[in-house]
Amino acid sequence: MIDSRSDLLPGTLDLLVLRTLQSGPRHGWAISQRIEQLSDAVLVVTQGSLYPALYRLEEQGLIEAEWGSSENNRRAKYYRLTRAGRKRLANETENWERLSAAVARVLAAT
Amino acid sequence: MTIFHRLRFRWRALVGRRRLEEEMREELARHLEQAVARQIERGLAPQAARRAARLEFGSPDVVAEECRESWGVRLVDELRGDLRLGLRSLRRSPGYALAVVSTLGLGIGANTAVFSVVRGVLLRPLPYDGGERLVALRQSAPQLGATDLGFSVLELDDYRRQLERVEAVVEYHSMNFTLLGGDEPLRVQTGVVSANYFDMLGVEPLLGRTFLPDEDELGAEAVLVLSHRFWRAAYGGDPTVVGRHFQMNDRPHTVVGVLPPLPSYPDANDVYMPASACPFRSDPDSLARREARAVTAFAKLAPGATLAQATSEANGLLARLRAEFAAAYPQTETIGIELSPVGDEMTRGARRTFLLLLATVGLILLVACANVANLALARLSDRGHELALRTALGGGRRRLLRQLVTESTLLAFLGGVLGLLLAWAARGLLVSFAARFSVRAEEIAIDATVFAFTFVVAAVTGLVFGSLPGLPGTDAPARALMAEGARSTGTRHRRRLRQSLVVGQLALSFVLLVVASLALRSLWRLNGVDAGFESENVLTAQIHLNWSTYTLDAHRLDRERVAAFHDRLATELRAVPGVVEVGNAWTFPLNAGFANSGQFEIEGRTSEERAPMVATQIGASRAYFEAVGVPLLRGDGFRGDERGEEPRVTLVNREFARRYFPNEDPLGERISGNGGRSWRTIIGIVGDVRQSDLREEAEPTTYLPFTEFPGFSSSIFVRTLGEPLLLERELRRRVLVADAQAAISGVETLEQVRSAALAPTALVTRLLALFAGVALFISATGLGGVLAYSVAQRTREIGVRMALGADPRRVLGEIVGEGLRTTVVGLALGLVAALAVARLMTGLLYGVSPADLVCLVASAATLLATSFVACLLPGRRALAVEPMHALRV
Repeated sequence: MIDSRSDLLPGTLDLLVLRTLQSGPRHGWAISQRIEQLSDAVLVVTQGSLYPALYRLEEQGLIEAEWGSSENNRRAKYYRLTRAGRKRLANETENWERLSAAVARVLAAT
Repeated sequence: MTIFHRLRFRWRALVGRRRLEEEMREELARHLEQAVARQIERGLAPQAARRAARLEFGSPDVVAEECRESWGVRLVDELRGDLRLGLRSLRRSPGYALAVVSTLGLGIGANTAVFSVVRGVLLRPLPYDGGERLVALRQSAPQLGATDLGFSVLELDDYRRQLERVEAVVEYHSMNFTLLGGDEPLRVQTGVVSANYFDMLGVEPLLGRTFLPDEDELGAEAVLVLSHRFWRAAYGGDPTVVGRHFQMNDRPHTVVGVLPPLPSYPDANDVYMPASACPFRSDPDSLARREARAVTAFAKLAPGATLAQATSEANGLLARLRAEFAAAYPQTETIGIELSPVGDEMTRGARRTFLLLLATVGLILLVACANVANLALARLSDRGHELALRTALGGGRRRLLRQLVTESTLLAFLGGVLGLLLAWAARGLLVSFAARFSVRAEEIAIDATVFAFTFVVAAVTGLVFGSLPGLPGTDAPARALMAEGARSTGTRHRRRLRQSLVVGQLALSFVLLVVASLALRSLWRLNGVDAGFESENVLTAQIHLNWSTYTLDAHRLDRERVAAFHDRLATELRAVPGVVEVGNAWTFPLNAGFANSGQFEIEGRTSEERAPMVATQIGASRAYFEAVGVPLLRGDGFRGDERGEEPRVTLVNREFARRYFPNEDPLGERISGNGGRSWRTIIGIVGDVRQSDLREEAEPTTYLPFTEFPGFSSSIFVRTLGEPLLLERELRRRVLVADAQAAISGVETLEQVRSAALAPTALVTRLLALFAGVALFISATGLGGVLAYSVAQRTREIGVRMALGADPRRVLGEIVGEGLRTTVVGLALGLVAALAVARLMTGLLYGVSPADLVCLVASAATLLATSFVACLLPGRRALAVEPMHALRV
């Protein structure tokens, strides 16, 4: 299990959050669950790192928030990608793929 | 777009802070709930599930704090904290806060006040359209001593038509006329202008209209425009005055408009009329003769034209005109036209004074700042524990410094608010003060620019005095917590800093002392000037006859009747008990507005030795000289019945005799002021009178018999036995009895005339002395404070020495010696600065050199004496130290 607080490369959490929002608006809990689920529980996003990240992204204008009601009819804050967020996601995804491919090549060589 | 978004987010974080905070709390709580729910799904009991979720996700408070940080408003949050803390700590020491706020309030207030004057008078654009392009034209012949020849109507026509670098040329002159049709005859100062005058200035009337183009034409109906001031004073601001008819110069004049408030420039005119309505200006002689120079010209530069271009174009045209009409120009090599920006004309003389005052109050603020920084340093020593504790708990040095600067800025802003209030309260005084120097005084206001100035001054002040205590070498708060002995390292640095602050204060105070003493000595010199007349017990006034009742035809004054009027009036006044003598003249002494000089020649001198000769010309009655107290030095005075018959006579003053008859006796010589058409015999020599300015030596002057050349607007002088002002009512009554249409103005004593001439200098001197006193007082308290502190530090040492039998006088001597050494260092530094600053005053001083030794010595003595007194207080406290008490401390 990799803790999002210490073990991730900087910026990775932002990328993951943006990616999970690509398929539509989600609230905070759903984002963390989605990341955990997609990574087969390898990546655990604690609220201690998730919410500062969400506020940071909102402050940067990459996502925007709106209150709505959740599946069990409770009030919940939904996050949605903005246009700037989409652009950033595309960029960062490309960067990440280049980076991981490069790392993989280095590792394979030795 | 992102920047905009960020700003919006931050704005929300700052303003909608509580909502954001609540939403975050709710969101985190919701998250935790779901985490608990999941643990329960996994089969944990509710209690255990909550615990597990908590463990997994950490403390909500820490998370909340991290979230807040990502809002990007931490700095503001901390600032809020600092402010709260600052307010609290200041509330705990109200004495300190009060001392700082009032010191800074006075310092900033003085700066705000003087700046508002500088802004209103020197910096604000002229209240005219394109005001920066307006210029005054002056035709002068320097060799003849004629600084302003004026222009004739024919000349102005040429300039108006032929100059291309100027957009418009207007003519102007000012006269006194009698306005009839109100309750009593009103003497109105009348600006006589060409019809395009107000159009060039871009002045929109408040009511009605200004002049129409064809109102310039001879024979046009006479119209008047009222100045705002006159409209308010004489008609109470009644709008129906527009359209009313008044009688003036035997013609009906219709009021067509009222002007908005404007500077009293070129003169404080009550009304304006078009040139055609002025009987003098429309006199055929004035219109036809090129040398009849009686009007002033103003112009507006064409857009893009420079002053230099327009000046050289005008002088080029002048050269062509001189070639064409040689006879119309004075016989001298150099005649030139000078163009001078109207803005400079209005503030002539004011600029130096105001800038000196601005510099002075700037120095005061520096002295005040140093004092406040000193107080802050002393307080820092008292707060050592608090700061050390905060350092120990992890407060960064920069963070602590920021706290100190926040506190000082807070105080400085409170001082700024106080300063603004003070300046606002003094605005009436400021206007009347500035009015003595410039016609633009009415424009002084505490406006947005002044606000901004105060804001900036306060901010800088706060930064300066807040960061001084935080300078390197004073960062010993942690050490303060340690043993007593360790404290001295930090305090020694701090003491040195405090001492340098005091040295700086003393140096600046010395500069201010020198400036004030120079001004004072110069005022004394000026006060002691013999202006050439005896000002005690003389009442003077201007009497203005209604032009049209004393004319031969439309344009010529009936001199016989004017002279008869004045003769009759003087005879009647002489019969009033308490009246010694009554005299008349064209003008009164020290009248800055009077200028009447002309060229003349001396009979029998060949043209080779005839350098251009110029003299001031004044018409004066036989009794004038005795009434005003001007001595007849040689020869005879006027008889009092001269009517222009031969032999014509004249009196000259001593300066005239000295300059033009250095080796001869002028008595019996003849001079001519009209190119030799007629000659006047010099029959007497009288004393020199400073005619226009106390500062200026008397010009060569010739006196003409008033009976031959009476003025329809002239001065009367009544020498009395007792208080002259008691005769004011009698004088007014007699004038009205003699002629019901005569107007009287400017009733005052010659003493008042003299003190009015001194008033601007006296006012500035008083201000400078006040400023120097304030600075000296502040510095003395600063010096006393530092010494008191050093005595307190040495309490134990002094106690021991006293116990061992030290001579108290020696201990006292040491303390006082320390203080005086500091003073001498300040004095030495101040001397250098003072010599530099005093040189800037050169133009403002009279009869005193900027490096005047007496002033320097007196200032140094004052500073040393004050310091000595300031040292005695802490010194005596040292002597009062009880040895046993000191040892137990």
